[in-house]
Amino acid sequence: MKYALALILVAAATFSFAQNDSPNSNGDLSPAQRSVTEAQRLIAEKPGEYNGYNALAIALIRRARETSDPGYYAQAEDAVEQSLKLSPNNFDTKQIQVSILLGKHEFPSALEAAQTLNKQVPDAVMVYGLLTDANMALGNYQDAETSAQWMLNLRPGNLPALIRAAQLRELFGDVDGSYELFEMAFQSTASTETEERAWLLTQMGRLRLVSGNTGAAEKLLQQALAEFLNYPEAMGTLAKVRLLQQRYEEAVALSQQCYKSVPSPQNLYELAEALRLAGRKDEAKKAYADFETRSLVESSAKNNANRELIFYYADYAHQPDKALAVAKQEYSWRHDLYTLDAYAWALHVNGQDAEARKQIEAALAVGIRDAQLFRHAGEIALQAGDREAAERYLKESAELNAMGSEQARITLANLTPGR
Amino acid sequence: MKTIKAVVALALALCLLAPPGVYASSHREAPITALDRTADVTDWYAFVSYDNPNNVTFILNVDPLLEPANGPNYFPFDPNVLYEMHVDNDQDGLDDVTFQFRFTTQIRQPNLFTGFVGGIAGIPQITSLDGTGSEGLSLRQTYTVTMVRHGRTVCLNDGKTLFAVPSNVGPETMPDYASLFSQGIYSLDGGVKVWAGTADDPFFIDLGAAFDSLNFRKGVGPVLSAAIDADDTHNYAPDAVGGYNVNSMVLEVPIAWLTADGKIHPATDKRAVIGTYGSTSRPQITVRRSPNPAVSYNLFGNGYQQVNREGNPLINEVIIGTGSKDRFSMDVPKNDAQFANFVLNPVLASVFSSLGVPVPPAPRTDLLLLVQYEAPICPGCGPKDAGPVADLLRLNTGIPPTPVGKQKRLGFLAGDDAGFPNGRRPVDDVFDIAARAVAGILVDATKYGTPLGDGVQTKTEGFNNAFPYVMPANNGRDSSHTGPGQPGCTGQPGGICPE
Repeated sequence: MKYALALILVAAATFSFAQNDSPNSNGDLSPAQRSVTEAQRLIAEKPGEYNGYNALAIALIRRARETSDPGYYAQAEDAVEQSLKLSPNNFDTKQIQVSILLGKHEFPSALEAAQTLNKQVPDAVMVYGLLTDANMALGNYQDAETSAQWMLNLRPGNLPALIRAAQLRELFGDVDGSYELFEMAFQSTASTETEERAWLLTQMGRLRLVSGNTGAAEKLLQQALAEFLNYPEAMGTLAKVRLLQQRYEEAVALSQQCYKSVPSPQNLYELAEALRLAGRKDEAKKAYADFETRSLVESSAKNNANRELIFYYADYAHQPDKALAVAKQEYSWRHDLYTLDAYAWALHVNGQDAEARKQIEAALAVGIRDAQLFRHAGEIALQAGDREAAERYLKESAELNAMGSEQARITLANLTPGR
Repeated sequence: MKTIKAVVALALALCLLAPPGVYASSHREAPITALDRTADVTDWYAFVSYDNPNNVTFILNVDPLLEPANGPNYFPFDPNVLYEMHVDNDQDGLDDVTFQFRFTTQIRQPNLFTGFVGGIAGIPQITSLDGTGSEGLSLRQTYTVTMVRHGRTVCLNDGKTLFAVPSNVGPETMPDYASLFSQGIYSLDGGVKVWAGTADDPFFIDLGAAFDSLNFRKGVGPVLSAAIDADDTHNYAPDAVGGYNVNSMVLEVPIAWLTADGKIHPATDKRAVIGTYGSTSRPQITVRRSPNPAVSYNLFGNGYQQVNREGNPLINEVIIGTGSKDRFSMDVPKNDAQFANFVLNPVLASVFSSLGVPVPPAPRTDLLLLVQYEAPICPGCGPKDAGPVADLLRLNTGIPPTPVGKQKRLGFLAGDDAGFPNGRRPVDDVFDIAARAVAGILVDATKYGTPLGDGVQTKTEGFNNAFPYVMPANNGRDSSHTGPGQPGCTGQPGGICPE
């Protein structure tokens, strides 16, 4: 029936338009919009069955991710409420509820809810995926690994498990191993699932980018864009490739396009960065200002752009106290390595380098090999007076030849007389 | 029958939400990913070849309900999946002979957006799997067949490159699809024949009615009239699988390759009986790779883990409880004793009971003949030869094939001893047979012999009575499906299927 549903989706794509959601300029509906339409049709046909509401909730979660508009999560919650009225305690619906919590970045509540479901039905494979997601987001990497591994054992090669294992491998520093799993997932994804394929190709491209292989990254991202025209995430990642290639104007154009499709504060920050690097100071200034306004609106919510906001205050706005305040707020509830990195950097720009070092080293201890994190570690060690460690970290960063390497090279050059 | 699994799995599919944004900063969330459909075993068949009592034919079907029109790349086999056909020949439930299929994908025209094209853009129509006339097969798959026996692995390809037959795109692209279909038949050394590709799905069932809590069509099921029950050639309810394709691997091998001593035995000899199942496996994966990559990740080496299996066409779907399906799928038949209670006390029997159908009380030891070696499929087996409880499709190779035309859809139950549950042929109406077996017909045909059925007696597209025993894939441009209120039920007035 999943397949029957897919078929109906294909038909829906051809014949129908959503009622309350406008198609893009090409007149096409996005995959999520099509799912929403289809779910609404299911509900209209059989209003007494919970399935339609579950399908609607899932479609809305998908739409929320497509648009970065958290308003869709509220609508998804309404659909779940209707579904539970028709079929109380339905296990599928409960899993969807956890997915909504994850989408809203309510990771602690999501973890608790997933643990409850896991106790209820210990062999339900997808619950392990929910556990992995929540644990990964909170920085409980050991627990995340255990769940992901059991998922792989219980149903070998299932795509959701492959994707989570791939993400963990990257965090554990095994970029090639991560690539291998994404590639395997890609090979097992039907050619009709263009969005999934584009997403997987984008991940593969991003992994090539973080290991400095811009040529391979570009090829994969172009392939993703061929699978799915103007796929925002592929455009955003390709913009980073262009930055690394110092093709700044192209990077700006891509970032603008990406922000137009998905007007999230995160994408606005990326656009501001690209404009700054392209030397378009006034436009950059305006974009940064807009970013600050917009990200502050959601800063106290869990689903926020606080990581970008921290770096904005630390590196662009030169307001270290604000950077630290936001970083402390994030650190109070999650300890994933990216939060540790941002917190460390905020401490660093406030001159608290001993504590900064503790945090950045905890982040690196997970295993991640990221040029930006190594550079941060290098700068922090340097300011803390450990020249030897600083040199080691900066060299690691420089060798990766990715985002952050250039600045690491500059610091290294100043560090080594005669270079 | 694993089509059913696709339906049961819907519930899970709805929850296959891939990771949300793990980091507030990066939009790494995956969209909803699909089920592992390429590794989904839909059906498993094993029977003595219709035209040769010295050979057995196996059919392993995977990837359910393929819509013929669903281009542009249609449905290749998965190069990451190991497809296997297993044979136990000494009643211990363990593999003695295994046949393995492995596929490789070639993309021959990387700039083409579609897998298959012909008759346009300067590319000739597709008339051949290789060489001239094959230019339009941009996405083409080759495969190898290996046999593992007595600890030795032998490649059966016989030096040939074997091509999988593509899906039937339509008459403009593939003007003579029947020819492509036949080109996919390969005769190999030792009298072996093999075919792999996309085919018409031979399974037939009124799926929607069966899963709407056995809500069968009015005047048809679940208790068939004598007239309908006696009719093996017309459908009285819509065949939900009609017009859909499936990916199929068909292998015909001499019986002498399968038996423990390499000889052919009469039906009364236990050495004539084999236990079989089909499976799919994927490389074993660990989150953390070992420093020696060969240990943790060995594509097509040893580190494999089973994803799915099918022996009997009813066990996984209607007998094993939903919460245990993943465990069942990843385990080997020899360990099936852990699921024995599902067989001895099937939930479906109580469903029938609640519909007023008389069923025998549990424990249902009569159903053990599906999962152990015993008469009537193995008349030569004594109590010590029963072997472990194992979901294997058992085939007595000493029972000769029933000639085409004399085969009965109810197989063994109708005195056609060459049919299910003695092996399984495409013509066997496994839903009706299984329903009646669960209702207790094997205990007492008079007392528990309610003629249960869904009214789908045969395959809408008909059957292929010669190797490869599957029909060519339905055509993407011109095929359709049958449903309630639509044509396709030849047993009904005007051929219109009941609502």
